[in-house]
Amino acid sequence: MTLETEQDWKSIVHRCFRCGYCKFTHSYSDFNCPSYKKYRFETYSTGGRMWLIFGLINGDIQWSQNLSNVLYACTTCGNCVENCRFEKFNSFIVDFIEAARAEAVKAGFCPEKQKLLLERTMNSEMFNPYGEQNSDNADLKKEYDLPDNAEWVYFIGCTSNYRQKKLRDATLRLLKKAKIDFTLIDEHCCCSPIIRTGQITPVKDFIDYNITQIKKTGASKVITSCAGCYRTIKKDWLKFGAEYEFEVLHTLELVKQLLDDGKIKIKSEYNKTVTYHDPCHIGRHVGLYEEPREVYKQIPGINFVEMKRNRENAWCCGAGGGVKIGYPDWAVEISKERVEEAKETGATVLSSTCPFCRTNLSDANEKHELGLEVIDLIEILDQLEIEINDSNLI
Amino acid sequence: MELFVLNKNEIIKKLCDIIGKEFVSNKSEDLFIYSQDPGVSDPRPVDFVVMPKTVEEIQKIVKLANEEKIPIVPMGGGMTLSGLVIPVKGGIVLDMKRMDEIIEINESSRYALIEAGVTTGKLQAYLEEHHPNLEVSIPDAPPSVTVAGNALIHGSGFLSQKHGDHGSMINGLEVVLPNGEVCKLGSCALSKYWFTRGPIPDFIGLFISSFGTLGIATKLSIKLYPKPKMRYLVFGLCKDPKVLPNLIYNITRTDLAEDILIGIQDKPAWMKGYVVIMVYITGDSEEELDSKTKLLKKIYRKGKARYMKAPDRYYDIFLEKPQFAAKAADFRKGGGFEYVGAFIPLEKIPEIIQIGNDISLKHGIIPTMGARFISKTHSAMFFISYSFNRADPKDIENARHALHETNKEVLNIGGIPWKSELEGQKLILQKMDPNYKMLLKTIRSALDPNGIMNPGNWEVN
Ligand SMILES: Cc1cc2nc3c(=O)[nH]c(=O)nc-3n(C[C@H](O)[C@H](O)[C@H](O)COP(=O)(O)OP(=O)(O)OC[C@H]3O[C@@H](n4cnc5c(N)ncnc54)[C@H](O)[C@@H]3O)c2cc1C
Repeated sequence: MTLETEQDWKSIVHRCFRCGYCKFTHSYSDFNCPSYKKYRFETYSTGGRMWLIFGLINGDIQWSQNLSNVLYACTTCGNCVENCRFEKFNSFIVDFIEAARAEAVKAGFCPEKQKLLLERTMNSEMFNPYGEQNSDNADLKKEYDLPDNAEWVYFIGCTSNYRQKKLRDATLRLLKKAKIDFTLIDEHCCCSPIIRTGQITPVKDFIDYNITQIKKTGASKVITSCAGCYRTIKKDWLKFGAEYEFEVLHTLELVKQLLDDGKIKIKSEYNKTVTYHDPCHIGRHVGLYEEPREVYKQIPGINFVEMKRNRENAWCCGAGGGVKIGYPDWAVEISKERVEEAKETGATVLSSTCPFCRTNLSDANEKHELGLEVIDLIEILDQLEIEINDSNLI
Repeated sequence: MELFVLNKNEIIKKLCDIIGKEFVSNKSEDLFIYSQDPGVSDPRPVDFVVMPKTVEEIQKIVKLANEEKIPIVPMGGGMTLSGLVIPVKGGIVLDMKRMDEIIEINESSRYALIEAGVTTGKLQAYLEEHHPNLEVSIPDAPPSVTVAGNALIHGSGFLSQKHGDHGSMINGLEVVLPNGEVCKLGSCALSKYWFTRGPIPDFIGLFISSFGTLGIATKLSIKLYPKPKMRYLVFGLCKDPKVLPNLIYNITRTDLAEDILIGIQDKPAWMKGYVVIMVYITGDSEEELDSKTKLLKKIYRKGKARYMKAPDRYYDIFLEKPQFAAKAADFRKGGGFEYVGAFIPLEKIPEIIQIGNDISLKHGIIPTMGARFISKTHSAMFFISYSFNRADPKDIENARHALHETNKEVLNIGGIPWKSELEGQKLILQKMDPNYKMLLKTIRSALDPNGIMNPGNWEVN
């Protein structure tokens, strides 16, 4: 079942019993819901939110800015989805929260800071939530000598294009090195930030625009190094009624495929102890847990170690769901817990596969002088010598 | 009693002075959530929610409550389902879950000294990681409930058949009394070891099943037990509930069982018309488990029951600790259930099964019942569960009627409803020996002359 109509979610949200499994890790060793762990009132547990939503539907409680703030003080990390035991209900929890946020927006209770995301994204000079001048990527196309038509489109994503350019450039170099036939489009935001914050009015137009641009290139595959874009294109675009035939991959999936097929081989060593942070958007939201690990483990010289909370139990970096813009200090507080957990493993490198996680993890690392190197998997690969087996490339 | 001498804004300000504004609220969305629980009780208004971190903060809150005549309701997980943490007369809900330190595990005297907000999930996980040879008896309630909240209501769990209900596993208690003084009960009153309740006058019982009316527990020492290497489950099946008292009696004579549960449900279809018996056995080796299984099979046969080999997934489901009992909440696609948990004598099992069946069918609810045996056969906690659809007020009302009728029948046959909601408490008090009631009233008014502690519960007029 999917939540296709408003009626769908309104008719099942009451099935939350508020039992509280959603607060924990699998073993119950710790609270793993960032919001409950901070605020501690039951209101801020997933159950609390579900009951507030049900109360709103029933008219037992009215919209207010405070109530809306409770709904927005959630990173939508999906720990609740993972740990809720009610199988007919659990997979929709994040959808409920996003749907309720959309209702908050309709009722005029979207928090001010989150409104900025929409304003900037809608601004025709920008089309991105960072408020930067829109890049049509023409210069990059020229610099990397990319064709107009290609088999692949690299969807850079706003975070990589405007905040984490090192990751963008590393991805471009890697794709070139691996002789992937790819191009770029004049992309507009994938809409992840505005979907997460319930500001959905323009989403369909943005999706249509991006799909048209992708189609123009004739590409059959879209690749991105951004966990947020990946989840959004792969899941949300379909939820919003998009129809597309191209395949959607995260760069790590492509790398894994190339390594597995012997099409590339990592030749130089990376002699560091590395731990991996599972981004919520490709971990709990999509289920890619082993693929990134298999790539790290194929890097010669690496000492790969796990944090205590990993895979389905990963502690969120704190940036998602509009929390980074809405609650910047708290976002870094959440992230600090993750960086400290990484330090406990003895790792010197904290690596991930999401530029948004990278930003927030770096912010905590720097603010609290925790001394780790925070770097994306693709950037690590970019530093290494890679041998290409030309004979049978994709 | 005149409530609230000061206005609410002044009270909020004072509460914030005591514990900081982050953990004090009178915002409507917080009050909304704390005014209800997952059972059938109607919401009741709450004025303030506070989450203290220290004993001193609680003392100050209690002193303020005395000065301003504000009711206080201590809350753990809030999962009794019977509305016990929804204030009857407004006031402060004191959510204890920020007091969540595991202070000490004493390996040799086998106890855990913990703060009152520690959840069963946290203690269980902590022992698994740091003291794998020890275990604590936890209920099949969700892991978000507190060890204290459970022990303080005569809760029971997977070691209760062997070692008694969880109230009896309390070795020591620290409470903030209704006058704001801190009192230590048990050996901790005079020793640094929280290892026993005696041999001094034992007042710990006063605080069990009194629903927070006599004080606020801030720390407790709970008994731990050696953890066996292996645990297994031997299912049995019988058709005639009348054989159960003898059968259970004979199983408990052997000392074979760690835990004994029975289940009676009309759904799934194969269970209809049967009683499923679940005997948990433990041991150090496969051989030991095999020999215990063989003995149990024999007892089943002699007792007019039979052994049942269940599909693998049943073992996974029923060996989980805690079991996911909350699934009953979704039986009517509706996010709710409440049960009468009745403490009854063993011999009343067949009768209560009939009662549960009749009341369920009368209310159009699929019969869902079961029991856990406590301390051999000294008592059984028999539950009759009524699921309801939270989105349907009529369905909730229906379940409420079923619960009330069940409480009455339980009392008629000589049982006692457990962790009873307000209406059930009234029925119990009606039947209670007047001198017991007088004693309760005398103790309560001596300890709490201003009537601030969870007023409305156990109200003796
Ligand atoms: C699905 C499900 C399964 C269950 N299975 C079991 C089971 O197997 N065994 C069992 O025993 N129970 C079971 N229960 C019942 C109940 O949930 C548990 O007993 C639970 O442990 C109660 O603990 P709590 O922290 O939720 O207590 P609460 O509901 O928060 O409190 C219970 C009572 O104790 C008082 N109280 C709480 N903390 C303090 C304190 N610090 N000082 C003074 N008074 C306090 C409260 O005021 C209230 O009156 C089950 C419940 C559910 C929903």
